[in-house]
Amino acid sequence: MARFDSYDAIITGAGHNGLTTACYLARAGLKTLVVEKNDYIGGAAVSRELHEGWTYSNCSYVCSLLREEIVRDLDLPRHGLQVIPYPGGVTFHEEGGYFASYDDHNAMRREVSRHSARDADAYERYHQVVMRQCRFIRPFLLRTAPDPLSMKPRDIGELVFLLKRMYDLGGRELGEMIRFWTISIGDFLDEYFETPIIKSSLAGSGIIGTGLGVYSPGTAYVLLHHYMGDVDGSIGSWGFARGAMGSISNALASAFREAGGEILTNAGVSEFIVNDGKVTGVALENGDEYLASTVASNMDVKRTILEHVRRDAMPAEYVRAVERFKIRGSSGKVNIALDSLPEFPELPDNGLSFRGDFSCSTSLDTLEQAYDDWKDGKFSEKPYLDMLIPSRIDPTLAPNGAHMMTVFTQYAPYDLNVDGVRSPDNWSEETKAAFADSVYDRLSVISPGIRDRIVHAEVRTPLDIEKEVGLTEGNIFQGELTFDQLLFNRPVPGYAQYQTPIEGLYIVGSSTHPGGGVMAAPGANAAREILRHLGKAKTMPAWKDTEAYA
Amino acid sequence: MSPASSHYDAIVIGGGHNGLTAGAYLAQQGRRVLILEQSDVLGGLAKSQTLESGGTMPRYAHLAYGLSPKVVDELKLSSLAMRTLPTTHLSPDGNHVEVSDQGARFVSGESHPQSAAYESLRHRIRSYSEALAPVMHSAPPDIDAGLGLSALRDLFPLATAGLKLRRQGKDEMREFMRILLLNAYDFILDELDDGPLAGGFAADAVLGAWAGPRSPGTVYALLHRYAVTANATVPVGGMEAIIRALADSATAAGATIQTSARVQSITVANDCVTGVVLEDGSSFGARAVLSSVGPMPSMRLAGKEHFDIETVRRIRHIRAKGTTAKVNLQLKETPVFSGLETRHLGGRLLIAPSVQYLESAFNAVKYRRLPDAPVIEAVVPSAASGTSATAPATLSLVVQYIPYHLDGGWTDAARASLSHRVINTLSSYAPGLEQSIIESEVLTPVDIEAETNAPGGHWHHEELNTDQLLTVRPINGMARYQFGVGGLYLCGASAHPGGDVSGIPGRNSVKQLIRDGGV
Repeated sequence: MARFDSYDAIITGAGHNGLTTACYLARAGLKTLVVEKNDYIGGAAVSRELHEGWTYSNCSYVCSLLREEIVRDLDLPRHGLQVIPYPGGVTFHEEGGYFASYDDHNAMRREVSRHSARDADAYERYHQVVMRQCRFIRPFLLRTAPDPLSMKPRDIGELVFLLKRMYDLGGRELGEMIRFWTISIGDFLDEYFETPIIKSSLAGSGIIGTGLGVYSPGTAYVLLHHYMGDVDGSIGSWGFARGAMGSISNALASAFREAGGEILTNAGVSEFIVNDGKVTGVALENGDEYLASTVASNMDVKRTILEHVRRDAMPAEYVRAVERFKIRGSSGKVNIALDSLPEFPELPDNGLSFRGDFSCSTSLDTLEQAYDDWKDGKFSEKPYLDMLIPSRIDPTLAPNGAHMMTVFTQYAPYDLNVDGVRSPDNWSEETKAAFADSVYDRLSVISPGIRDRIVHAEVRTPLDIEKEVGLTEGNIFQGELTFDQLLFNRPVPGYAQYQTPIEGLYIVGSSTHPGGGVMAAPGANAAREILRHLGKAKTMPAWKDTEAYA
Repeated sequence: MSPASSHYDAIVIGGGHNGLTAGAYLAQQGRRVLILEQSDVLGGLAKSQTLESGGTMPRYAHLAYGLSPKVVDELKLSSLAMRTLPTTHLSPDGNHVEVSDQGARFVSGESHPQSAAYESLRHRIRSYSEALAPVMHSAPPDIDAGLGLSALRDLFPLATAGLKLRRQGKDEMREFMRILLLNAYDFILDELDDGPLAGGFAADAVLGAWAGPRSPGTVYALLHRYAVTANATVPVGGMEAIIRALADSATAAGATIQTSARVQSITVANDCVTGVVLEDGSSFGARAVLSSVGPMPSMRLAGKEHFDIETVRRIRHIRAKGTTAKVNLQLKETPVFSGLETRHLGGRLLIAPSVQYLESAFNAVKYRRLPDAPVIEAVVPSAASGTSATAPATLSLVVQYIPYHLDGGWTDAARASLSHRVINTLSSYAPGLEQSIIESEVLTPVDIEAETNAPGGHWHHEELNTDQLLTVRPINGMARYQFGVGGLYLCGASAHPGGDVSGIPGRNSVKQLIRDGGV
């Protein structure tokens, strides 16, 4: 029996952005429904017990970008969210030796000087420049990107705000900003450092999640994207969500329900219903229909527009622009249940004193080669790995004495190249096993014998991530973070304020400004735009004093 | 004290096209000017070489992209007759594509199925780049100048460009802002199937650059290149005609040109230039010195003690890794390319059969290796410039991507290997070419640097990427031609707007020098 219930607003997709939008709409008094295709909520911020006793953050795995304004405003700690910072990490050289990184500036400086006195001096300058860019960008995260061609007072005001902040930097700093935002991370690091292991260690953040290499212009910005977050005000720090990443989604869901919202799982959308250019509700795959004049999609823009809206309901140019939007799968993930703590013989104490992220790379060339493999449709022979053992800090994730390990892998293609043919269909059990082997091989370099400790492993290719989470090509940012797809260009020029050509239909996921990562900023910004259209803007904090956080 | 001392208003270091342009402008303004060229032949990267047979061929640059009509007009280079060259995009399967003002068609005469899509893409690029022309012809704005009258004057060209773009309509303006920092790969392949047509288009975006089509910013490089004139051109009489015309214009206006004059140092007193000293010991005094060699050589000439430490550091970090080699062939007879007629040899031949091909060729240079299949731009100089065919016949090849820093260094074996790869690639399009070669000369980026002082042997003297453009070219804080020491100016390709035989840096630097009251 099909149901036809009516709501003020419906959000499709219970990812962290969808839930954030939902919270704000519900708090504004709207009767709000969230529909989720999976039988669990969270999208890519989930805690899954895929092997008895072990809980995986099987997609996103660390937390820093989540805007603290939102955390405080929605009172997420009261709903169970606790973020525990982890201190630094280690990059191993594949031929022995390592470079450790620390949150503590002095410890970091000492470690850099262990490799090179010159680099230690350079590190001071490097750190200042990156932090300055962070401070510049942070106030823009919770503001809607201005439409530079609009004559609306609000857009002009936002544009003036942006230009004034740029002008206030002065010529020299503005020049530095232009350079930083357009240079490749490889070239940028080459300007500062001489030690290959230091460069390759710092470069990792410039390529995570992107279809770009360390020498592709624009990757310094990607690095910034990973640095501009904070844990409890410590800019650039990263942490674990206690109970794995799902606790972020659960806290948001709890806040949403408290505000009177309703969540429906196992409810995949088949179509956004459009009449006369206006959205009137959603039709689910199970035949149910829910009506609402405001519908917000947490799915990426391609999936929303190209798969779930009738083509004739939209201008052809808009559809064309969405087709052109680049969402490239470039990352894989291996989640591992370990029976015991792995040893890292290279490190003092076998690594017992290091609780942050581990990676293994040798030089920028190795990282660039990993990208070239990917361009060719292959998973990298020597991938960039970002590996963590969150159970070291959060004992709730694994049985006593055992551990959970999460391994992010860059690069893995969506359309795998087998014998010259590129297709996602080439991801078979066999190719997947080969992919996993390439990761285990790399892990064995830094922790010999780690294979013997593996109790269970979940291997996720970009295709798996697309299928399970719904992210197009398994791209973790719902769209490449390149300049043609940032700010007022994200996702589509002229439709960068969360709206679509269809009245009442909004895009609220990471396909929109300011982009991906577990940030919740797109969701909150979108909620503000939606509420403004509904004449309820005052129900949301304006965060105009956000400089206080910057 | 040198015996041959004399005084000028300004001295120009380097008799390349930009140095000559700067000299001609200064002379035209009634300044006493001396142009010094280290080699015995003028021209720098645009110079021609005389062959044993008596004929000539371009040594490095064989085409003029974007020779500024403003420069031609203002310097009254009326003797120059520029020819616009059609381009033939060679295809391994023999279905070569010819692109001219009439559009894209196969050499067989059939129209290309993607001709319309290609034309619309080119039209879009051209309309954007035309709007940028005012920005090219003026010094980048100075942010620190405040919002006074003079600062507004500097912003005027940018505003004009913005207005021109805006007039094309809101959608076009949005599209411009989207593609500005996009990569050529996506820009082109969003509209065209990959193949010779797409590949040749992408080549225009990356020729001379340390960048592949997938590198973000390469669409801007294309806009930049097309901003002044959107065609590959060559003057009747060959590239030397440009150099001759510029030199004539300069001398006619009263400039002195001295060749075989190697500058040893730029003399500085009280943080201002006072003149130059040559290696032969002679010295010349001047209130202003304009240098068309790159920032690093210029700084060395003046002495780095006159530059603050941050400037020195920035100059050291300028990226200028040349990726283009030149191979000059002398042949027994005019080469025969399968499927091409004689008339095609009067144009530009491009071996860049797909965008993917370009990207693969770029991969090698990143790891300081030679590409197996290089990108080649081939020109038959006599046919292209409309002069009578020379004996022996010549073939001029721009070859990319060739690393400046080659693993193992540029040994004779490495040169032979490069030559072999080039001939191999060419031979698949022009069978029998190898047997026809009388002499081949390979000029690697290292050779080009040694001979011309172009940093890194780089086409643009400095990588033309967004982080080294406009207000941050050649380095942040020195975008307005003035170079550290009072009276010292950069007038070469490392200054805004960069390389290609345009003459614009030479022109702009003089305008700025005069505006600053330097002469």
